[in-house]
Order: sequence, then C-alpha cells, then structure tokens
Amino acid sequence: MPNQSGLKSVVLKTVSASKGMTLLTAIIIAGAIAAALFPPLVLERIVNRLIAQQQIPLNLALTYFGLLVVSGLLESGQNIMITKFGQKITHGLRSAMCAKIEHLPAAYFTGHEPGKITSRFVNDVDAVDSMFTNGIISMFADTFKVLSILAVIYYKSKGLGLMMILITPLLFAMTRLFQKRMLAAQLANRAAISKVNNHVPETIGNIRMIHSLFRQKYMEQKYDAYIEESYRATDKSNLYASIYSPIIIFISSCIIAAMMILAALDGQVQQFFGITVGTAVAIMAYVNRVFEPLESIGMEIQNIQSAVAGVKRINEFLQEPEREETDASITFTELSANPKLGIRFDQVGFRYDSKHTVFSDLSFAVENGEAVTFAGRTGAGKSTIFRLLLGLYSPEKGRVLVHGVDADKIPDTHKRELFGYVEQSFHLVDGTVAEQISLFDPEINRQKVEDAAKLVGLHKSILALANGYDTPAENAAFSQGQLQLLSIARAIAASPQILLLDEITANLDSETERRILDALNRVSQYRTVLSISHRLQEHTHNHRIIQIGN
Amino acid sequence: MVRLALTYLAVILIVQIMRSIKRFYVRRFANNTSRNMRHMLYNSLVNMGKDELEKENLGAVMTKAIADVDTCVEGMRKFTTEVFDTGVVLAAYLGLLFYYDWRLALLSCIFTPIAYFIAGRLKARITRYNAEYKKSAGRLNNATMDRISNAVTYRIFSSEPNRDLAYEAHLTDYEKRAVSANLWENTMQPIYNIIAMCGAVLIIYFGAKNVLGTGWTSWNIAAFTTFLSAFVKMALKSSKAAKLFNSVQKAQVSWARIKPLMKEYVEPDTRTSLDFTQPATLMASDLSLRRPGSPPILKNISFSASPGQIIGVTGPIACGKSTLGKAFIGEVPYEGSIYLKERELSTLTDYERSKLISYMGHEPELLSDSIEENIRLGEQKSITPYLQAVCFNEETAQMPQGASTSVGSSGIRLSGGQQARTALARTLYNAQHVLILDDPLSAVDRRTELAIFKNLRLLAKDKIVILISHRLYLFPVLDKVLFLNGGSGVFSTHQELMRENAAYAQLYNAQIAQMAGGEDNA
Repeated sequence: MPNQSGLKSVVLKTVSASKGMTLLTAIIIAGAIAAALFPPLVLERIVNRLIAQQQIPLNLALTYFGLLVVSGLLESGQNIMITKFGQKITHGLRSAMCAKIEHLPAAYFTGHEPGKITSRFVNDVDAVDSMFTNGIISMFADTFKVLSILAVIYYKSKGLGLMMILITPLLFAMTRLFQKRMLAAQLANRAAISKVNNHVPETIGNIRMIHSLFRQKYMEQKYDAYIEESYRATDKSNLYASIYSPIIIFISSCIIAAMMILAALDGQVQQFFGITVGTAVAIMAYVNRVFEPLESIGMEIQNIQSAVAGVKRINEFLQEPEREETDASITFTELSANPKLGIRFDQVGFRYDSKHTVFSDLSFAVENGEAVTFAGRTGAGKSTIFRLLLGLYSPEKGRVLVHGVDADKIPDTHKRELFGYVEQSFHLVDGTVAEQISLFDPEINRQKVEDAAKLVGLHKSILALANGYDTPAENAAFSQGQLQLLSIARAIAASPQILLLDEITANLDSETERRILDALNRVSQYRTVLSISHRLQEHTHNHRIIQIGN
Repeated sequence: MVRLALTYLAVILIVQIMRSIKRFYVRRFANNTSRNMRHMLYNSLVNMGKDELEKENLGAVMTKAIADVDTCVEGMRKFTTEVFDTGVVLAAYLGLLFYYDWRLALLSCIFTPIAYFIAGRLKARITRYNAEYKKSAGRLNNATMDRISNAVTYRIFSSEPNRDLAYEAHLTDYEKRAVSANLWENTMQPIYNIIAMCGAVLIIYFGAKNVLGTGWTSWNIAAFTTFLSAFVKMALKSSKAAKLFNSVQKAQVSWARIKPLMKEYVEPDTRTSLDFTQPATLMASDLSLRRPGSPPILKNISFSASPGQIIGVTGPIACGKSTLGKAFIGEVPYEGSIYLKERELSTLTDYERSKLISYMGHEPELLSDSIEENIRLGEQKSITPYLQAVCFNEETAQMPQGASTSVGSSGIRLSGGQQARTALARTLYNAQHVLILDDPLSAVDRRTELAIFKNLRLLAKDKIVILISHRLYLFPVLDKVLFLNGGSGVFSTHQELMRENAAYAQLYNAQIAQMAGGEDNA
C-alpha cells in the first residue's frame, strides 16, 4: 500500500481529489492567455479607424481598457490558482510523508539525522512546490502564450510570422545560454558567500586562539580570499545581467525595423509582408510581448532541473522499507489478561547489523510484580533488551514474550498502558509542561497529569512557573534532575503495568538523587520493574540481578 | 524607409550599448562597495578582544551586520540604477507627454497617484499576511522537527496517531496562510497596473479627437501612437517605483546598523624591542586575580619557573586554576607581578605576548579547514613531528585524505579526543617560550596521555610548561606543583605537598583510588 506510493501517486491523488479546482485552474490559465491577445487587436482597429479619419467611439476606448482589466485580473487569478494548486500538492505530499513515519522501523531514526529528514519535509517539498508553481504549470502557460502570439503575428502578416517563428528558437537558445552562465556564477557566489558567512561566527568562536597565536592577519587573508571569490563570481553574473536586456531590446528593434523596411517594399514582397499602420502598431505590441514568456520559460526549466534532486530524495523517503505490521487483533484486555505469564526471553538472538551479534542465546523470565536489575558492561545489550520488549526491534531468533504475546506484535496503541519507559535522557517535545507528561494523549487529562507530577514531587515546582502547567517547556528552565523526574512522570501517567528504567547518566547532586530515588520507589509499587544498572540501584532493595554478557 | 529604419536601429544600438555599460558599472561599483564594507567590518571584528565580543552580544551584532552588507549594497545599487531607469526615464516620458499635449498629459496621469495611495494603504495588510505566513511556516518546521526527532518516543508512548493529526492541522494552517499571503502579494501588482492604465481610455478618446482635428491640439497618427506607447511605458514603470522605495528603505535600516561598526582599518602592531630567540624565565610574585567588580578569585600567589620545567597547577573544582591561565593571555587583569623576560607581562603588547606565551584552553577552537591547515595556520614548516608528538599521526594516515581531511565546522567530523589532539599539535607547532595548557587532554585516554606527556617533555626542553589539570596521576613526575585552594596557593613539589598539605594529599589519594576502581570496572 504506502510502499508503492511515490511523488507521482501523491500528485495524481491530489489532482483527482480536487477535480473542480484543477479544471478551474486550466480554464483561468487558458483565459489569461487568450485575454492577453486581445488588447493589441483593439488597438489595431482604433489606429485603422483614425487613419480613415473616423471618430473613435467612447465604448471602443472602454473596450480596450476593459480588455486590459480582464487580462490583468486573469493573470492574477492564474497566479493564485497555481499557488493554490501547488499548496494542495505540498500539503498532500507532506501528509503522505508524515503517514510514512509511523511505518518506518526504529532503526531508521537512529541511522538518519533528524535534521536531514526534516530537510526532506521542508526544503525538498518546497522544491517540488516550486517545480509545479514556477515550473511545470507556468511553463505550459508561457509556452502557449508564445505560441498564440506567434500565431496572431502569422495571421496578420505571413512574412513577419515566418520570421518570428525562425527567430524565436534562436532567442530562446540565447536566453538559456545567459541563464545557464548566470546560474553557474550565482552558484559560485553562493558557495563563496556561505564561506564568508561561516567565517564570521567561526572567528568570534575562536577569537582567543586567533589572538593568542596572533593570527589576525592570517584570518583576514582567508576572509579576503573568500570575499574575492564572491566578488569575481558576482562580477561575472553582473556582466551577463547587464547585457542581456539591452541585447533583447536591440533584437526586438531589429525585428521592428525589418518589418518597417519590408512593409514599405513594393510588389510581391509587399504582399507577403504588407500590413496596415494599425496592424504595425499591434504587431509591435506583440513582438514586445514574446520576450517575457521566453525568459520565464528559461527560468522554469531551471526550476524544474533544480527540483529533480528533491523529487528523488522524496521518492527515496516514501519508498523506504517499512517495519513489520503489528497484530491489530490483539486487544488490551487480552494483553492484561495473563499477567501471570510475566516477561520471557526465550533463546533470543539479535544483532543490529550483520557483523556485531548482541545476543546469540539469551533466556530469562521475570514474574509479574517482580523487580529486576540488568547488570553488565557497556555494550552488553542491556538497552537492547528494552528495545526488544518495546517492539522497536524484532528478535532474529527465539521469542520475546510479554504476558504471553510476542512483543513486536503488540499494537502501538497499547504500548503506553503496558509499558512505562523512563528513557536514558529526557526527550523534550514541542509543547507545554503538561504536554511533556501527557505527550498529547487526550486520554491523559489534566487531573492525570497533575497526579503523575505529584507522585514524582514536581507539582509544586511546576505551579511556581509563569503559566504553571501551560508554560511552554522550553521556557521552564528545568534542571537535569527535574527533567529526570518529568521523564518518570511521563512514564507513569497512563498507569502502565510494567516499568522500564534506563540508566540515568546525568550528574546529579545528592539532594536531587534522593528525590529521584524516592520517586522511583513510590512509582515502583505494584508494578513489574525492569531497570538497567546505575548508581541508584544500590539503594533499591529486593532486586534480583540478571547478568548480561560475561 | 531603409535609411529611416537604419537610423532607428543605430540610435537604439547606441542607447543600449550605453545602457549596458551603465548597468555593468553600477553593479561593479556596488560589488566593490560590498567587498570593501565586508573587508572593513571583518578587520574591526578580528581585532576585537574576547571580552569585547562577549559584551553586549557584539559578536552576534557583527555577524548580523556582515550579513546585512548585501541588503545595504543592493539597496544602494537599486537606488543608483533606478534614479536613471525610473527617475530620469519617467521625467523624459512625462516631458514628452507634456510636449505633445499638456492637458491630456495632466488628465491621464492623475490615476497614477491613486495607485500609489492604494498601495500605501494596503502595504500594512500585505506585510501582516506575510508575517503570519512566515510564522505558520516556522511552526510547521518546528512541528516537523519535533515529529521526526521524537518519533521513537512517540511510538513508545502510543502517541504517533495523535501527533499525525496535530501535524495535519499545522499543514492545513500553513496551506491556508500561504495561499492568502500569496493572494495579497500577487493580486496587487496587476490592480495597480489597471488603475494606472485608466489614463489610456482618456488618451484613446481625446487623442483620437486630436488626430481628427477636433481636440485640444492637432496630431498626426504617429503622434497618437507615440503618446499612447510612452504613456503605457510610464504607467508600468511607475507602478514598480513602490518596490524601489521598499528596497531603499531596507538599505537605510541595514546601513544604520552597519555604520557604527565601521571603523578605521587597523594593522596589528608588531613593533618590538625584545629578542625572542633566547629562552625566557618566569617569575610571578604576590599575584592577585579578580574580575572587575568582583572579590578576588586568587590572592598572594607566588611561583617561578625556568626553561625546561613543567609546572603542574591544580586544585578542587572552581579554585581558579583556569582563571590563572587566562591571566597570562591578558583576559583577566592581575595585581602583583608576572615577570617574563625582564619585562612585566602587563606592559607587553599583544604581539610581544603572543611571541612569548602560547595558550591552549578547554575549547579546541578549530577552523573549518583541514587538520593540517588547523595546525599550520599559514606557516610553512612540516607538521609531521607534531602529529607524532600528540599521537595522532597513525590515525590521520588512515583517514582517506590523511592530514588534508577536513575537520568540519567547529571540528565536528573529529571525535573529542581527535579535536583535543589537533589543538595541542597546533599549540606545539606554534609554541613560544611559555606554554599554558589548560586541561588539554581530558578527552584522551590515559595511555595516550602518558605517551603525549613524554613527547611534550622532549619538545619543550627549553620552554616553560604550565600544565593546568584536575587529573593528578601525572603530577608526581612534574618539576613543581602549584596547589590552589580556597583562594590562595602553595608552590612546592608533589612529594612535599603529599607530606605537608593534607588537602592535596586527600585529593590525590582519592583520585588514585577511584582510578584503580575504574580500572576494575572496565
């Protein structure tokens, strides 16, 4: 199902979901192209009438103006519709990508930097958006614009029309050449500027070293080299930018001059090129209108090209292999029906990659309500036991059973009521203090959040914050110890049956340590508790120790 | 006709050649200005001291100012260009219109100010919609980052479905705001054009009368078309003037930020009467250190060192050992005396001090360049002996590009231990007569640290090394130890301190015992 989805299917889905809008977009674009063709034709009539010494009725003048208005409004409408369309696709694409997250295996998130994945959601999708809005759709529109103008010129004067049809591709080729050269220069400049911009904070960060080694001059020379690089690139791009528009204006003037000369010739030629004064005025207007879409098409090609990499990355993301489905038929009642079965590892073998085996044959059992501590050196796989229990990974051989059910088959929705996981380091989420505890679970209402906070002894400190439980977490300035307590509150908020405590690594003062310990003792009652050895374990009594590794 | 056409072309050609020359040189002028401004700003930045940069967040201000240079210069360029392209051209067109028929010109041009007026009224709204769109984009980015970086946490806590719903809400909000911001931005330009073009109706109507001889003046058909096309060009041009004002305004704002930071270009002062070829001796007596406005951190500290000696400085956490190190590079003012090479340290210029003292702090302070360049910093001698000295030569040799491997931004591509060793190699490579090493190897394992220490002995045989450290197992072999405790200091040898200073002995024994325990665990 989602495995097959790529960018193409998302776009098709979006288009078919909003057929009306797609149609409207097409109509408005067609209208905008057509409307842009008319004003010069009215102008032609006006001039021809004047030549014939006829008065211009006011309504003809108004028609001319009306057409300008319609064409201007349709152009705006075209822009708006294209934006709307692009945003629809962007939305659909991001939704599809977000839906994908749930299906990715946990290993994906350890193997990929969050910043890079985020950049696919943000930058790459934006690139796709601009590929549609400033690329494919506008390119269609602009191409039709050019073709329609050429058609009108041809209809008005065959000779000129043919001339334009021959010249237009050359003009386009020249435009592309300029654009490519400018792009190369701009890219070089951007690279240089990013070096320039990086050099400044780097200087500030390393100022002590620079001064104590007396390298001010050296740093300045490096900096000057970067700005020189940027200067040269900019100079090059300036050259192209400065001459392009004058060249285009000169060429269009040449066309107009040729038209004047040929139209004034006698005989056969005159018939081929022959036009009235009004037509000449109209054609001049058309000739000037050809250049703008030509230039746009060039930019659009560029936009499409630069979006290709983004499209590829998005497709890669959407086609990442997915994790195995959990068994949705397992209900929570079923899961909590057999607590007597406890937790069992049956001859479990596991490795993260083909080289390093973590366990080859691990077996142990934990009774319901028992407290157990795993001990062993770093890298022995203590945390891996938790990951297998939480179903983040599947064992390679053997079985991991929780209350008699395979851990990796337990649906995500039941995890929180089953396990309370106190992570090694607290993961602050984007939200308020209350949301740190509830994790946005609607089931965990304010009362439950406060109960959890009271149990770990954080209630008073939270109430002392500017907005109490509604203070944005990043403004709450929690200490390391308080974050640990928050982590415990989060774990127990849904009253889970099993508590998993991972090593607490932060350096804590003895007072905080005592508070965490008390909190852990309080929350451990009536629960199955699995913990990974840490300094606090010495103070917890009645734990059975399970040694992992040698 | 041919002659007329050719004349027309020749005029256009000349005008366009001039125009392209003008365009290019205005741009080059802007480019030059930007280069010079950057150059000057950086010069004043690189010559600022650390405390100066930290004060009032000047570092961030400078970074912003340098990034502002482009906006500022772009505004200047547009202003210069447009003074011609818009200002002069508008004036010329206007003159032309008035020449042909002043009444009609006046009549047709009254619509342009209306367009300006409406644009002015709508600007606030456009800015607001844009700001809302940007804010929504910011929220969406945060939500994306949050959804991804906490994906596993959300999974464990059964929160993925409700997070997806919240993300969908963000997407909907973003879509809505993007469309409305764009609507305001895009609809306005054509509408201004339309308003400005209202004049065209009058021109066609009254201009036609002129041609037919029933109007205010008498025109031929050429005058009519010229008048109309000049008007259209002017109307479209003037509707772009608003954009020009915008960028000029932006430039003014950024120039106001940059201006106070532009200072006279400074060449670092390298005059000196000292001879740096001979080893130096160090004598600190009755030294007190305090940060301005606070009570003294250290009082009555005295110690001395001669070339070839390694002096250990230690003490409990926050005893002031790093502060002592910073006094040697002028970051912390001192009372009493530090005599170095027959001169008082505080009377030395920055240059002289840098020629006598080499300092290495906790931060590796690496540049985003290759390992080799980070050590050399522009000097030419070979880095191999120094890589060997810090036990980094084998590791670098195994890297795909050897010592030319880039360390990344702030050394991110190296491990903590590798960064520390690169920084130490740089300090040794540029070593002067006194080396102040503040806990240089806390990120390195013990065996490597021992090996590096041996090499340090050899490399620094005619230098003074002040080794500030909280790890004491090397201290028995150091020449002298300065033990700082409770604001004062005892200068002696390790052996004597063990016998006579209970606090030192306790610190040392506790560490050795812990280390032995740590060994067992490993």
